[in-house]
Amino acid sequence: MIIRTEDLSVYYGYKNILKDVNVTFEKNKITAIIGPSGCGKTTFLKSLNRTIEEYGGKTEGNIYLNNEDIMNIPVQKLRNRIGMVFQTPVVFPFSIYKNMTYAPIYYGERNSQKLKETALKYLKIAGLYEEVKGDLDMQATKLSGGQQQRLVIARCLTVNPEVILLDEPCSALDIKNTANIESMLLELKKDYTIIIVTHNLAQAKRIADYVIYMEDGTVVEMGKTDDIFDCPLDSRTKEYITYMKN
Amino acid sequence: MRAKELMFKFWVILSGIIITVITFGLFLYILYKGIGVVTPEFIIGSPKGIPLGTQGGVFPAIMGSILSGLISGILGGVLGLCTAIYLNYYCKNEIIRKYILNALQCLAGIPSVVIGLFGYTFLVVGLGISKSLLSASITLTVMIIPFISIRMKKALEETSKEQYISSLSLGIPKGYTIVKLIIPSAFKYIMTSLGLGTVFAMGATAPIMYTGVVIVSGVPGKLTDPFMALPYHLYILVNEGLSVEMAYGTAFVLIVIVLFINIACHFTGKNEDV
Repeated sequence: MIIRTEDLSVYYGYKNILKDVNVTFEKNKITAIIGPSGCGKTTFLKSLNRTIEEYGGKTEGNIYLNNEDIMNIPVQKLRNRIGMVFQTPVVFPFSIYKNMTYAPIYYGERNSQKLKETALKYLKIAGLYEEVKGDLDMQATKLSGGQQQRLVIARCLTVNPEVILLDEPCSALDIKNTANIESMLLELKKDYTIIIVTHNLAQAKRIADYVIYMEDGTVVEMGKTDDIFDCPLDSRTKEYITYMKN
Repeated sequence: MRAKELMFKFWVILSGIIITVITFGLFLYILYKGIGVVTPEFIIGSPKGIPLGTQGGVFPAIMGSILSGLISGILGGVLGLCTAIYLNYYCKNEIIRKYILNALQCLAGIPSVVIGLFGYTFLVVGLGISKSLLSASITLTVMIIPFISIRMKKALEETSKEQYISSLSLGIPKGYTIVKLIIPSAFKYIMTSLGLGTVFAMGATAPIMYTGVVIVSGVPGKLTDPFMALPYHLYILVNEGLSVEMAYGTAFVLIVIVLFINIACHFTGKNEDV
């Protein structure tokens, strides 16, 4: 277990978005969070590395990263350890290379050879290197949506996080790009813990080891992927899965 | 209903045409009236003749305007950018944010002659700084701060919040994110705001009348020297009935400088490699 939440509630002003969430995330596994729109999946994800605070959200309860309360970890260090990738690919308006070296330069790497090695290493891991190897100085905004999303994941890896949070990373991508991202995530889980929010139940079934089903800001059920999909314990989970299948 | 729609469309198009005609007409008229006076001697010479200003040139006024515009542009740019950064990224308290924005709106609404009076009372009389380039530039800075701050705030908002948060999600602090990501991304808009603020300052007469500008002087050698400025020189030429031709020549030079600064800022921003 790498992350554990304890009675986690999240508020925007007086509005209670998440209510007493108690879940655990296993190390080097992919956990998919599913549920209807507006059930609090993204809010939950954003609260795990305190990004929620940038949107004006406030949390109650506790989140532990390797048994350490995240509120005791300096927020920058926490976000270094728990990276996040958003629904829309957010490349910086720099070249591909500058996107890849943006964070390492901040963390003190000045050696241009090492910077290049880092950039290429993670581009390769993200499966993007072959497609952009001759165009590293090209503006990242000129890449396709799928390439941009893989670049964002590669950029996230440059800070060597322990956990990667992905908020519907394939929602704007076609089947081929989705397949690319999924196969990359299956590779990445050997070294990282991955938590992904998705509306795509088939995707959750394909890549996730564990699934959390949420509804109205609460966790209805969590368990191994096959158990959740084949024999859910809660009728609400069963209803949702049946509805989405049809 | 269709008639109303057509009337509305007609009025919108007509308004656009009117504004375009007025803008270009004004420029062309001043350029046409002034071009006959503008010679190399006019550009690099000092005011001459009796009364002074009826002959010679406007070089000290050009330099005075450029220097006061640049100083107030730099001061206003730094303060405006920092205010915009604070409002967009650091101010968590909505009441304080609204208070600052309202203060800027109020400051923007103060007539420039009142700002000039404030500059005279506070800087020249109160602090004992002589009527000088420094006093005038600080007064101009006060005038352009709301103008620059609001535009720079909007410029920073051009960069998506997702980019900002994506950078924070890499464990990178706000300061680094703002300096290395947000400002370079919004550089073009920031430079445009700065350029507009600078030319706004260069064109103002009232704030500098009490604080630094004089009818005749040389090019200011230091910040505490009084100086000539193009808009005030133009005002004196017309108001004292000295020479309308020379006034058009002065207006011509002022407009060319303003255009040059605007174009330079536009292309500086465009060519920034981010």
